Amino acid sequence: MAEPVLEVSGLHKHYPLTQGIVFRKHVGAVKAVDGVDFTLGRGETLGIVGESGCGKSTVARMLVSLERPTQGRIRYKGEDVTRLSGRALKAVRRNIQMVFQDPYTSLNPRMTVGDIIGEPFEIHPEAAPKGDRRRRVQDLLDVVGLNPEYINRYPHQFSGGQRQRIGIARGLALRPEVIVADEPVSALDVSVQAQVINLMDRLQSEFDLSYLFIAHDLSIVRHISDRVGVMYLGRIVETGRDAEIYDHPTHPYTQALLSAVPVPDPEAREHRERIILAGDVPSPTDIPSGCRFRTRCWKARERCALEVPALAVPAEFRFATGPAAHASACHFAEEKQVVPPEEREA
Amino acid sequence: MLLEVRDLHVEFRTRDGIARAVNGVSYGVDAGETLAVLGESGSGKSVTAQAIMGILDMPPGRIASGEIVFRGTDLLKLKEEDRRKVRGAEMAMIFQDALSSLNPVISVGDQLGEMFVVHRGMSRKDARARAVELMDRVRIPAARERVRDYPHQFSGGMRQRIMIAMAMALEPALIIADEPTTALDVTVQAQVMDLLAELQREYHMGLILITHDLGVVADVADRIAVMYAGRIVESAPVHDIYKAPAHPYTRGLLDSIPRLDQKGQELYAIKGLPPNLMNIPPGCAFNPRCPAAQDVCRTDVPPLYEVTGAVAATGIAAAGIAGAAERRADRTSACHFWRECLHG
Amino acid sequence: MPEPTPPEYQLPGAARTPQNGAVADTGMGGAMDLATAEGETLERPPDAGPPERDAEGDAEGAAGERARSLWSDAWRELRRNPVFIVAALVILFLVFISLWPGSITWMSPLKCELSKAQEGSQPGHPFGFDGQGCDVYTRVVYGARTSVTVGFLATLGVALLGSVLGGLAGFFGGAGDSVLSRITDIFFAIPVVLGGLVLLSVVTSNTVWPVIGFMVLLGWPQISRIARGSVITAKQHDYVQAARALGASHSRVLLRHITPNAVAPVIVVATIALGTYISLEATLSYLGVGLKPPTVSWGIDISAASPYIRNAPHALLWPSGALAVTVLAFIMLGDAVRDALDPKLR
Repeated sequence: MAEPVLEVSGLHKHYPLTQGIVFRKHVGAVKAVDGVDFTLGRGETLGIVGESGCGKSTVARMLVSLERPTQGRIRYKGEDVTRLSGRALKAVRRNIQMVFQDPYTSLNPRMTVGDIIGEPFEIHPEAAPKGDRRRRVQDLLDVVGLNPEYINRYPHQFSGGQRQRIGIARGLALRPEVIVADEPVSALDVSVQAQVINLMDRLQSEFDLSYLFIAHDLSIVRHISDRVGVMYLGRIVETGRDAEIYDHPTHPYTQALLSAVPVPDPEAREHRERIILAGDVPSPTDIPSGCRFRTRCWKARERCALEVPALAVPAEFRFATGPAAHASACHFAEEKQVVPPEEREA
Repeated sequence: MLLEVRDLHVEFRTRDGIARAVNGVSYGVDAGETLAVLGESGSGKSVTAQAIMGILDMPPGRIASGEIVFRGTDLLKLKEEDRRKVRGAEMAMIFQDALSSLNPVISVGDQLGEMFVVHRGMSRKDARARAVELMDRVRIPAARERVRDYPHQFSGGMRQRIMIAMAMALEPALIIADEPTTALDVTVQAQVMDLLAELQREYHMGLILITHDLGVVADVADRIAVMYAGRIVESAPVHDIYKAPAHPYTRGLLDSIPRLDQKGQELYAIKGLPPNLMNIPPGCAFNPRCPAAQDVCRTDVPPLYEVTGAVAATGIAAAGIAGAAERRADRTSACHFWRECLHG
Repeated sequence: MPEPTPPEYQLPGAARTPQNGAVADTGMGGAMDLATAEGETLERPPDAGPPERDAEGDAEGAAGERARSLWSDAWRELRRNPVFIVAALVILFLVFISLWPGSITWMSPLKCELSKAQEGSQPGHPFGFDGQGCDVYTRVVYGARTSVTVGFLATLGVALLGSVLGGLAGFFGGAGDSVLSRITDIFFAIPVVLGGLVLLSVVTSNTVWPVIGFMVLLGWPQISRIARGSVITAKQHDYVQAARALGASHSRVLLRHITPNAVAPVIVVATIALGTYISLEATLSYLGVGLKPPTVSWGIDISAASPYIRNAPHALLWPSGALAVTVLAFIMLGDAVRDALDPKLR
């Protein structure tokens, strides 16, 4: 793997639940993120998939220091970001930027596009001399495929896709090394999604960016990611290269998730096996013992309730060299192909 | 045919002018059939559905012309009072956001029972018994205990089941589902779609599924109508359209979705944006974005051509609705060059 | 007073969710907002020359060389708004006669002839005489000073104190917020008239200051509650998170991002409150705890004239009319300013 820019280890975020008005008493905690480890290499895209409430957005917010982790480390080029504050934190922030999900609320409606994209320079004045900023903003607009003349317009004069481009331009302004994108295209229409994904692809090679790409849409994540992590209830349950996860999943949750994705091919609906999971995701205040997926797993046995499965290459595949040999937090991992290769005339 | 929309035009008066949201939409759905209406935001798919249900906000909306024929009567000619009797009892709608469609301060049992009290004049007690029955039918576990719970006590998937139960309560002949699973997670989405399809089969209802998700459509639909800028640009049995689209917009949409089974190269992206509905381009509305646009596309509005000689349909959709197929063109495309598109 | 719901509360969300009144029911919020000029293409056509710009953009700062900001745009907008111009002229006139009442009058407001009591309009005395035989025209002109001073200063004090306290409480939350909320609850429980009777009856000063102070004391909780609510609403938007992720300081977030988006309801309520403060001064004066003769104020005159409404309605109508026009002018001004600060309405 390329040299790591971000190393995350043992990341936890617990939100305490309290009771009482005057004397607050802890009655538990929402374990939004409960032990996440990953590394992100330079120029690499790591996709994080999971359903709502699995903690993927909380991870994103901790990476850009919008939340402080309860426990764990986020190392940017070896330096622990979670311990920084003040000037040092500000310096790191320059290099880790975020693109938000909702292009309608992520831009201040009362600021012009020029002000929005130029704001990073005002916060970090050392990044660009004052006289140069306006030109830089126009360059950025050009880079993301918008007309530089739009600099004096307000966000509401743009469509969703264009606004997301503005959000991306703001993220790029300080020339960061890492961009954390939290569902950057899920609010957009299909045809516009493709435009924005292509733009992100292009920018990655142009500026040598590392992406942490968070989404619930498995197809998009596969398209853009080099490696993928599947999250369930605050933890990564399976991780590997995109083909390893999508074509050779070994964790039952990944298999269920993949099998549930509707495939745009009506032929597939007859001969596709669907794994329908029972019940709902348990509450993050009361995570099941042992394997957190066992309450919905069709393979669960006694061992699953007692032992927490580690995220590592399962014993069965330890000496294998094939694509099934990737980290999967399951005691009974086995390979199962759930995504049938489509045949579609081009 | 159970429901037929004929040449429907809907416009909205806005501060900046008149927005033509629906410009001559015609489609039909049979009992037992699933019609998917596919389109992006602003395509007019939801407005058409609201016009059918009679829940369009008027003003600012206005049905300029057209007919909505349901079981032989034109709904647009009915008095509001008669219309209300149709709504809920004979046709029902499922919305995207179950949380805001349910009243947060009334228990789900009472909300479900309400249908029976209002339309069937049942007593509260009987209505509640029916509510439990309905919740069982949409497979909400422990229905009897949960009937007194409030909407926020249910998960997203469960709330959407309650919405389905509510729509199903009076066993309507037609259900319109407007993005029923968009707000749900993928595993829950699969459960809810399965349930909907199963209930539809069981009661032989017509289902209009409004969505932007090509995957969901491929999973459940019999026929597809693709909408763009307030018009239907292509309508066909589901298998045909995925095999060989006969409209460049449909083709563009199919090409622009990333695939789950392989890592693609650069995605195909339809250039540009959907048109401003106050200023729809002359000729074919898609022409500024179309890679194959010719001069004629900029001047002449394409009629709905009947698509013939296409790839042979695989015959799944035909099973229950053989009679219907004779009465309408099986496949249409609003593109002057549908032939080239089909084979290109 | 009912809490107004200015469009700001709905617009950001409405643009996103497909339920925005008119056309946006179709979910076309984004596309519909799009300026007609750029409805055609998103990608900038290579070398297609400058796109059509609205005439206004051309006129203003040659090809947008000069950066525009919310405030400069708002000011440009205001200057062209007839409502604003009318309101501003009325208010300027009021300020003028408050400062130099002698410039349009030729008598003393305290010079009265009992023999002319209740007489109607006559040459030299266009508004007639009141119950004491004083010239109504002169008293209305001189009364402007006290009434406008009381109304304006009380509103200013209330708005500043209320929005600063409420805004900070809403922004920082925590214990300070809880304490402040309880304090406002206590103040809401004080009946205004009774409070005035008790508090002002012990004051012997003959100036307007005790009255203004009393109004600020009882009025701030109302604005504070509104400011707190709108700051909390604004705080949750993604653009605030985006600014924080860039490393923006608290003061920057508050001033650039929250204040412009939260100020509208405060302006609306404050301008409406201005009228009520002028009337409250009248009420207090009527009860004998507000301003005392020989101070001249509209409130004193209105209350003094009310017993003679059947015989000499003009003595009541002229000061009441002046009060109504003043209040209306301030409300119109507030409305215009609020609209000008919302780029979506341009």
